[in-house]
Amino acid sequence: MAKRTVLAASIGIILAYCAVALLAPVIAPYDPHAITGAPLCPPDPEHLLGTNDLAQDIFSRLIWGTRATLLLGFIGAAVTVVIGTAVGIVSGYYGGMVDEAVMRLIDVAMTIPIFPLLLILTTFFRPGIYITAVLMGLLGSFQGVRVIRSQVLSLAVADFVTGTKALGAGDGYIMARHILPNVLPLAGVKFVISAQHFMLIGIGLGFLGIGDPSVVDWGQMINRASQNGAMILGLWWWLIPPGLAVTLISLALAWLGYACEDEINPRLRLMRV
Amino acid sequence: MHGVCFMIEVNNIRTSFSTGFIRRRVVRAVDGVSFQVEEDETLGLVGESGCGKTTLGRSILRLIEPDEGRVVVNGTDITALSRSDLRRFRPRMQMIFQDAYASLNPRMRVRESVAEPLKIHRMGDRAAIDRRVRELVEEVGLNEEHLNRRPYELSGGQNQRVVLARVLALRPEFIVADEPTSALDVSVQAQILNLIRDLGQEYHMSCLYISHDLGVIRAISNRVAVMLEGRIVEIGKTADVLDRPSHPYTRRLVAVPVRETPEPLESPVFPAAPAMVEERPGHWVEETTA
Ligand SMILES: Nc1ncnc2c1ncn2[C@@H]1O[C@H](COP(=O)(O)OP(=O)(O)OP(=O)(O)O)[C@@H](O)[C@H]1O
Ligand SMILES: [Mg+2]
Repeated sequence: MAKRTVLAASIGIILAYCAVALLAPVIAPYDPHAITGAPLCPPDPEHLLGTNDLAQDIFSRLIWGTRATLLLGFIGAAVTVVIGTAVGIVSGYYGGMVDEAVMRLIDVAMTIPIFPLLLILTTFFRPGIYITAVLMGLLGSFQGVRVIRSQVLSLAVADFVTGTKALGAGDGYIMARHILPNVLPLAGVKFVISAQHFMLIGIGLGFLGIGDPSVVDWGQMINRASQNGAMILGLWWWLIPPGLAVTLISLALAWLGYACEDEINPRLRLMRV
Repeated sequence: MHGVCFMIEVNNIRTSFSTGFIRRRVVRAVDGVSFQVEEDETLGLVGESGCGKTTLGRSILRLIEPDEGRVVVNGTDITALSRSDLRRFRPRMQMIFQDAYASLNPRMRVRESVAEPLKIHRMGDRAAIDRRVRELVEEVGLNEEHLNRRPYELSGGQNQRVVLARVLALRPEFIVADEPTSALDVSVQAQILNLIRDLGQEYHMSCLYISHDLGVIRAISNRVAVMLEGRIVEIGKTADVLDRPSHPYTRRLVAVPVRETPEPLESPVFPAAPAMVEERPGHWVEETTA
């Protein structure tokens, strides 16, 4: 497949998911929490993907589940990228003691595995979906700081930055007008990759039964399906769709991330940073 | 103003870098350099790669903080200025780098790069700045159509012209040019060199011109300083130093064909900083033990 086709397809898929998430109330035929007939119905024209053990329409739940996954992924990624970029720029630009302190702190923090820590935190505190997203973003931002900082280190000694300093520009001005625009492409890639990562973590939490119970999410759907023997009973319409939905968005984000990385790498080389 | 006033007075500048993580090593890049540059004068600075020319140029402008020493620019001791005072003083002294392409933000158009110094120092309203940008771009031999280009859409020579316009916008009194032509094609080198010389005269700039091309140095500098391992070993009128070199290192430098760096000399070991002796009027040479 040509690169451009892959890029277009992945963007198309991501946009489609966003549209579904926004228009869930319009697209979904039923309220995802409502009892809509007999439990454990196989697919029929009334219930495109049948019903679950609580007689809720699986297709409607699949549609509404898009929201939870995208929310977790995008809010988490936004937190990661904002913190990563801000701290990465300041730390990399000033260098010295502050940078040293930040990096040692991150070295320590990075040894903590995100998923188990999230498991513990969510099990004990049962935070809502928003808090969980922010928490993921915070934990992921350590990696973000590293990625951004390493690029800022080389930008900070680039001749155009030294030259701008020589003009009499202040540090804040240089960071905002010269460093930030040059790390934005990298921050964009980091956003896409983090979003994919956090969506999968979100699914994992839901699957383990510690997601936010007030929202419909694919992980919890898969969890419920397998706990009710969907696998053994061959109720594929209950188990497979949420799994496929996750896989597709995750692939699309990964493709987009790789495509963007390819795109900015030669540019970075050209910039000699 | 009193007595003989030099534009630039550099006094005993020392700059060192510490490298290595486990075994810290200190590199004395500039080791006690003093010289003066007069008004409208260009002082050439030659020396082999790694002898500390760039470090010296940047230390003088406090783009690298020197460990020691004093730099007086037109009566102001800039080594004594606070950070904010230094920033306000910066327009009066500028620097041009070897790699023109790397000296410009790859995401900025020529128009923005040239307008930037004027905006930073609030030199006029938008219309005035725009006018001045056009004027400057023309002065350095570019035209309207280059205004919207980005660095990668220009040649090395054109980029160096943009850098020159950006620097001239501030009407500096002193400029450090760090091998501004050595990365360019031979044919373009002469053009840029002439441009720097002509604009230097027009704007009454004193210049420290760094190069290891003796031909360039001859063409542009009134006086020349020869640098060896962080020290200036000989300084004087260009023709005088290059035609009648006294220090053994300068002799070797002059003997080799132009545009080739000489083999490093086995470092002469000086017990203490050797004194400079005046060979001829204005031509100073470091005393050698040999
Ligand atoms: N940032 C730095 N950190 C550590 N050492 C440095 C740094 N910059 C320069 N040096 C060292 O200082 C010495 C002088 O370097 P400098 O760049 O000033 O030489 P130069 O005369 O400009 O050389 P060239 O002609 O190749 O440009 C060299 O030994 C170099 O390795
Ligand atoms: Mg150099």
